[in-house]
Amino acid sequence: MSAFLTALLSVTFAGIFIRSTVPLLLTALGGLYSERSGVVNIALEGLIIFGALAGAIVTKELDAPLGAAAPWVGWLGGMLVGGLIAWIHAVLSIKYRADQVISGTAINLLATGVPPVVLTALYNSSTESPAVEHPLPLWGMGDLRFSPPVYFALLVVIITWYVVYRTPYGLRLRASGEHPGAASSMGVNVKRMRYSAVILSGVLAGTAGVFLSIGNLEAYVRNISAGAGFIALAALIFGQWKPLGVLAATLLFGFLQALSIQLGGTTLLPSSLVQALPYLITVLALIFTGRSRAPKAVGKPLD
Amino acid sequence: MSDSVRPSPLAARLSLIFAVVALVGLFLFPYGTLSRNFNAQSLLQRFPAGLTNFTGTPFENVPSVSSALAIGWATLLTLAACIYAAVSRARWLWIAGLLALLLGAAAIVVFNSSLNAAVAELVAQGVRARRIPWTSGGMHLGLFLPPLAGLVTIFAGLSMHERWWERLNRLRGLLVPVAAIALAIAVGALVVLVVQPVPNGLERPLSIGELLTGKLDVVWYVYTTLFAPITNLNGLFDSLKLATPLIFTGLGVAFGFRAGLFNIGGPGQLTMGGIAAMLVGVYAPLPAFLLLPATVLAAALGGAVWGAVPGLLKARFGSSEVINTIMLNYIASAVFIFLIGSSTFPFLGKTYTLPIKDEGFEAKSKVFQEGAQLAPIANWLSFTRGDTTLFSLGPVLALLVFAALYYGLRRVQARLWIALAAAVVVGFLTWHAVGVPVTGSFSASRLNTSFLIGLVCAVLMGVLLWRTSAGYALRAVGLSPAAAEYGGISVGKNVILAMTLSGALIGLGATHYTMGGALDEYRLKGNMPVNVGFDGIAVALMGQSTPGGVVAAAILFGTVDTGGVDVDRVLDKVNKDIVTVLKSLIVLFIAAGGFLSRRITDPPPPQLVKAVDASGSDASARLTPGEAAHEASTPLPNVGRSSEVIAQDVLGGDVVAEENIDKERKS
Repeated sequence: MSAFLTALLSVTFAGIFIRSTVPLLLTALGGLYSERSGVVNIALEGLIIFGALAGAIVTKELDAPLGAAAPWVGWLGGMLVGGLIAWIHAVLSIKYRADQVISGTAINLLATGVPPVVLTALYNSSTESPAVEHPLPLWGMGDLRFSPPVYFALLVVIITWYVVYRTPYGLRLRASGEHPGAASSMGVNVKRMRYSAVILSGVLAGTAGVFLSIGNLEAYVRNISAGAGFIALAALIFGQWKPLGVLAATLLFGFLQALSIQLGGTTLLPSSLVQALPYLITVLALIFTGRSRAPKAVGKPLD
Repeated sequence: MSDSVRPSPLAARLSLIFAVVALVGLFLFPYGTLSRNFNAQSLLQRFPAGLTNFTGTPFENVPSVSSALAIGWATLLTLAACIYAAVSRARWLWIAGLLALLLGAAAIVVFNSSLNAAVAELVAQGVRARRIPWTSGGMHLGLFLPPLAGLVTIFAGLSMHERWWERLNRLRGLLVPVAAIALAIAVGALVVLVVQPVPNGLERPLSIGELLTGKLDVVWYVYTTLFAPITNLNGLFDSLKLATPLIFTGLGVAFGFRAGLFNIGGPGQLTMGGIAAMLVGVYAPLPAFLLLPATVLAAALGGAVWGAVPGLLKARFGSSEVINTIMLNYIASAVFIFLIGSSTFPFLGKTYTLPIKDEGFEAKSKVFQEGAQLAPIANWLSFTRGDTTLFSLGPVLALLVFAALYYGLRRVQARLWIALAAAVVVGFLTWHAVGVPVTGSFSASRLNTSFLIGLVCAVLMGVLLWRTSAGYALRAVGLSPAAAEYGGISVGKNVILAMTLSGALIGLGATHYTMGGALDEYRLKGNMPVNVGFDGIAVALMGQSTPGGVVAAAILFGTVDTGGVDVDRVLDKVNKDIVTVLKSLIVLFIAAGGFLSRRITDPPPPQLVKAVDASGSDASARLTPGEAAHEASTPLPNVGRSSEVIAQDVLGGDVVAEENIDKERKS
């Protein structure tokens, strides 16, 4: 037991902790923009997968000509593809007034179907891409060396807080989600706000995917997101749609995930049940937050 | 009403557009003619412009296709007639459309059979394949346009009769799913075009023309293979087998939709249904006649519990059922792995044994007791005579007799009982007497009684939703929770009820995999494809959340799934995942309303249209530039506009007129 506690306080655990927090944090912050603007984004899981896939493929294809610069272009590619797929969600839910949950589900389904087709076409394997030669570099010291998206995620927290609460864009964003009619009558182009917010969520979720595929691993593998998008969504609700709340919630969920990884190797508890812990906590956490503090117009299309 | 005997301008314009496209397409799409491994593609490229050889290599000797060509020219003429009728808005527009439909369909059949004959002949002669290593045929793509144009023209022509217009209006619900399928097929074709290279049977590289026709060949091949299972009995049984779990998950999701709930927890509910069925089916010491129903009920109960939890949380704490069902999927998966992944588990440093997993490497439970196994349908739908296995036509005949008597004896009171009795007698006499021979693999089909349970569930769901007061309350909650609450219906109670029943329906789907032995063994196995829980969403949307629609959509998806296995076997770059892409595209396009105008899918009520018509020419329904500018500057047209303003818009009156009415009232 005490051996386990010392393992918990070790630097290695801190590394695992941070690495499992970052994709949740990036994705949840992306979801924050989308939901604050009034668009439910259940597609986050799919967006992560598309970002991870695009990041890995672009990096793999550019490995030879670009060398060490390839992963940076791959990152850009993952962001672009994430944004593009999110744009589809935006068009469906804003222009065609589709049910946002169904539209998001369609994108999640697409994310289970498209990667095998693309991977088979490119690499003759339906489950994984070949390893890239140059993954994203690791910055830091000792055991605490992380790829750039980790630092980027922390930056995004601060930027998001500033943008949401201290800029005109943030004011309009919140207004679009709370009372689009009023915002619209004050001259805010609600639809444009929503488009930009949803695309931004795709870019951030895409970055989370890039971190998973070429920042943490060296290839895209099937089921790489492992439900991170949904946990991020839960963290967003748990964090009450606030940047700092989201940071706290993702730290909690990241800690639980790291804990389940750490416990998986021990004889303390059955590893399969430990892996369910974050999901169980999510269900419990949702009981205490519920739907009460959501942006008022979330999920409602604007006429 | 002199206007009503002629097709409306819109209908005439629609049929004109389709007929012109079909006419032009017949000439243009020979380019899209799909060729085969031999140069017999000339067979179809002959029409209508004569022989066109894109490949440079000489043609094989092709048999005569004069009958096919004659029908092709006749189709062309009827299309011309359609165009004339559409332009002159003739009363006989629908007759021309009917002719075009029939001739177009005949042309497809005749062309196709000529083609198959030609290919068979070449194969028999031992002619070496030229390009593509498949012998199956291709088609003149333009041939698909005349039947389509015919169909549209029939509808357009018939819409001038009020009775037909009402009948057609009832089909409006089909518009979105049909458009979604068509769009998904188009996008899927694009994916196949890009992804799959043309297999080359030659030593030299393919020319541009060969590449082009070859690409279209690939698309044609993929889609004919996907939909092929309908055409033979074995394929049909395989399709129904794969459709069975989709019926359950589709019904479950649809049930949730009806109550305004989005149950995305299919995988978890299916897993828990399987676990519960396993616990009862393997371990319960019950006699056979109790064991079977007990196991089925256990499956329902397992799913029901997993559905009730998010329902309860939503009703009690208001937490979204969407997130909760997703989380419960992961928890169910963990429980599943815990139970059958390993026979030991560690707990606080000690190791305990869990006797559920069967010995061996694979994650699976022990075999279900004999009494808890559902019989394969093939067993009691077939009989042997001598050495051959025959598929019994008894049930089909009984059904036909029943339908004929039931609808034929409209005036007889006891027609239901007469028809039932006659059907039973016919079925009894013909069950083991009349049949068609089938191949050996048929009797190995894993289609099982679970399919029938699914059909029963569909009927029960229809009865519950539309024939009982509980169903009325559920649908009321789905349509408007606030109004339902105001009307004295408890929203919370119905949310819990709906989620429980939705979960129970999905949980029953597990009977197919475990009790029905769909995974080759009567066990709970680790490779249970729980993703059909997500496919249920697509099925429910496709089926418009009606039981009949869900069953039809499930069978369609089962067919495509079966075909996907064949696609996987032959092509190297396109595999069965293309089916997943197609399904998700269908959901995507249905979410977007098929990209159809809301005027088509959701037209304004007839009273409003009549009011506009009564106010004069349809120009009054348009906005004047000034009004348009006013509209544009008003951000939310229907907020803050009083009913008078709307009435004034509708009636085409102006403010002065409004004031006059007021004065009249006063005086």
